Amino acid sequence: MLSALILIPCLSAAIIGLLPAKGNSPRNLAIATALSVLAVNLILAFQFDFQHNGFQFVEDIAWIDWIGLNYHLGIDGLSFPLVLLNSFLTLIAISSTNPQIQRPKLYYAMLLLLSGGAAGAFLAQDLLLFFLFYELEIVPLYFLIAIWGGPKRGYAAMKFLLYTALSGILVLASFLGLVWVTEANNFDYLFLRSHHLPLATQLLLLAPLLVGIFIKIPIFPFHTWLPDAHVQASTPISVLLAGVLLKLGTYALLRFAVGLFFDGWLYLAPWLAILAAISALYGASCAIAQKDMKKVVAYSSVSHMGYILLAASATTRLSMSAAIFQMVSHGLISAFLFLLVGMVYKKTGSRDVDFLRGLLNPEKGLPVTGGMMILGVMASSGLPGMVGFISEFLVFRGSFPIFPIPTLLCLVATGLTAVYFLLVINKVFFGRLTEGLAQIPPVKWKEHAPAFVLLLLIIAFGLKPDWVTHWSEVQAIALLPGS
Amino acid sequence: MARISKSSKSLLVEEYITRLEQGSALLDDSPQNLIEVVGILKSYGVVLDAYSVNLNYIADTQFLKLFPFFKYFNGKVNANTIAKFIAHDRLNYEYAEYCMKAMFWHGGGGVDAYLDTPEFATETERLIKAYHRYNPLMLALHKAFPDFMCEQMRQMAYYSALGQFWRVMSDIFINLSDSYEKGKVKSIPDVVQFVLDGLVADAALPITYTVHLRGQEYNIIPKSAGLTFLMDTGVPYIEAIFFRGTPFAGTVSYNAQAYEIPYDLGMFNYGALYADPLPIGGAGIPPTLLMQDMRHFLPDYLRQLYQVKSVRGLGDLRVQICESFQKSMFCVTTAAVKGLAPHPLDTNDPEEKLANRKYLTRWLNRILESQIIKVNNETQDQSALRVK
Repeated sequence: MLSALILIPCLSAAIIGLLPAKGNSPRNLAIATALSVLAVNLILAFQFDFQHNGFQFVEDIAWIDWIGLNYHLGIDGLSFPLVLLNSFLTLIAISSTNPQIQRPKLYYAMLLLLSGGAAGAFLAQDLLLFFLFYELEIVPLYFLIAIWGGPKRGYAAMKFLLYTALSGILVLASFLGLVWVTEANNFDYLFLRSHHLPLATQLLLLAPLLVGIFIKIPIFPFHTWLPDAHVQASTPISVLLAGVLLKLGTYALLRFAVGLFFDGWLYLAPWLAILAAISALYGASCAIAQKDMKKVVAYSSVSHMGYILLAASATTRLSMSAAIFQMVSHGLISAFLFLLVGMVYKKTGSRDVDFLRGLLNPEKGLPVTGGMMILGVMASSGLPGMVGFISEFLVFRGSFPIFPIPTLLCLVATGLTAVYFLLVINKVFFGRLTEGLAQIPPVKWKEHAPAFVLLLLIIAFGLKPDWVTHWSEVQAIALLPGS
Repeated sequence: MARISKSSKSLLVEEYITRLEQGSALLDDSPQNLIEVVGILKSYGVVLDAYSVNLNYIADTQFLKLFPFFKYFNGKVNANTIAKFIAHDRLNYEYAEYCMKAMFWHGGGGVDAYLDTPEFATETERLIKAYHRYNPLMLALHKAFPDFMCEQMRQMAYYSALGQFWRVMSDIFINLSDSYEKGKVKSIPDVVQFVLDGLVADAALPITYTVHLRGQEYNIIPKSAGLTFLMDTGVPYIEAIFFRGTPFAGTVSYNAQAYEIPYDLGMFNYGALYADPLPIGGAGIPPTLLMQDMRHFLPDYLRQLYQVKSVRGLGDLRVQICESFQKSMFCVTTAAVKGLAPHPLDTNDPEEKLANRKYLTRWLNRILESQIIKVNNETQDQSALRVK
């Protein structure tokens, strides 16, 4: 069953690539594939046992014996929300793609490969298999930025490739080191987790793993690839990048850094909490200074990823659950904001906050986009009634008893979120419509549909957070020692 | 509004004086402008008719009422009209009140002067005492605050004056549309001439305000006051609504230290000729109400033009209506300026010509600060595009 989540998009990518393109057939096939994967996910959701703290729907097949690689998949309360988020945002990304996109066969094939690779990474219970999927998604993403990106796409794609390839090397080095010191003959996650290593060894193996993961998340000062990648990537790719691919980093943080090297993690936790606060404040401060709307959202991501690191550092039951919730929350909110920024760019041809003005004009502006942007900003700033409030409240409530100062600093970063987003809102949406924008085309309801769906989820999970937390509550506890 | 340097402004004034002397209008003549102006004035005429009925109804029947809850119902209060009111299936009579209040605030002209005379005060006092004859509380309050109800009656006088003014203007605009459809009006100067003829024909119509209470008649503004349609209501209306107005709240900022607000506040203009049409549709922009009302009565030819003119089709209809409305108000202003000139503008007498030029220079110095240059530039751009 779990293999379907990987194989359907990958096979579909191959079919799209091989079949002759006729009209909208690549797009329609891609949408059908995304819907199928989402349907499989929903079937799994109905069969998933929330009270079970181990892996479910396990598939374990020996693959390459001599290197100890097994095709070992499983899903638990940590990976399920992310797999679901991946399939959902893939559908959103495909729906929000311009139907007249150039080279549609290659584009949709890459998009599906990316989605399949991410699903594989979330499901892999073999460290080497995880690494393979972790690397697999880099290739399609590189092409998606390099071919369909903005004017500096070559630079951004190369920077992304170099950073994330280095991230992969560091993660692989840590995994190989772990297998070597434990003298294991395979890369099985549960098997390796059952070994208890001395603190010094844990720290030695944890250090490269953390740097690799911090590049992927990204955490300051390893973040510089992200704003460039976001700015140059097209809107659907930014949606996937922020919503899913950054979560690969935070997922690896909880699954491997916390799960495999818990003592080392606890030892470093106070420093990691400080780094989380610095990253949150740095991201927020940079966002204030940006003139490009997309860069504001990109730096906002850097800031909000800091909260996940803070929650993971605190390692309380609540904070671990909060970290998972924050991943889902950020995935939805950042995808929503990127969609809206993309809509503004599509209609006005600009993301420059110094040029855009008065877009809330009800007759000639983009009032619905502006209205939703305000709601998105409210969600990102953690206003009650939205998913952002629940996730940030849980993060701060769970982390404060352990790391009060870093938590307070992260609270300041939350305050700054309102500052930088309100600056954007005030400049771009209020005031008199810029003279050159008096003839911008209207947004059709169909174009807004993906953002509406995201908004509904942002509000729904804000009002009913247990729809997310009950998936991960048990698993959050299971990540802690003694489980 | 456009900022023009002193030297280029004097050149522009000269250019526009020449235009007016040659029989042209402030607004450039073009087939599109003609369709927009005539079409919008037709719908404006229909709306003005309804507004004038309501203003006169309020002035005649709602005076001195503390809570005139049903003032927009024109006396037809039943379940059906209340349901329509709640569902907002009605005209926005609030806009008529907005214009009335703007006139009341800015004052000027014979009506304003008469409302400060002892004759008005005596008749109003008689009415107030009669109205509250059986209400000692109100009489005591009137004694304590004698200006309050008097001021209410001044406002009622403006309701009536504007109602009478619009009643006449409505007929002029609807007749204009009929003449256009019969092929008698073929250009913007024809529109101006038609409006001018209408204004001149009705210029001397008396403006009066009489109310009836318990079989008694109260001449608040008697015929003997000598107030007339054009000079005592038309000119103050143009001054208040076309020129001065009020900026739409929240849409424009002025820096007084940078002299963006003139020392003489009488020269501060944000009326219909100056206002920015783009914020129409936003909250707190009063003309939005008028544009909403007019869109129900647009002739087909104008609706078709709007459909193709904007990239949004009819999606930004209210702004398009406002732009056309502004053009039409330039034509009405041209007619008023021509009508009030000391001598016919095509005179060959040098002394009359000089007097006219002084008169026109005074007007044009104000008018050229409005949106007219921008509107004419856009017209010229559109004409150039058609030629290409």
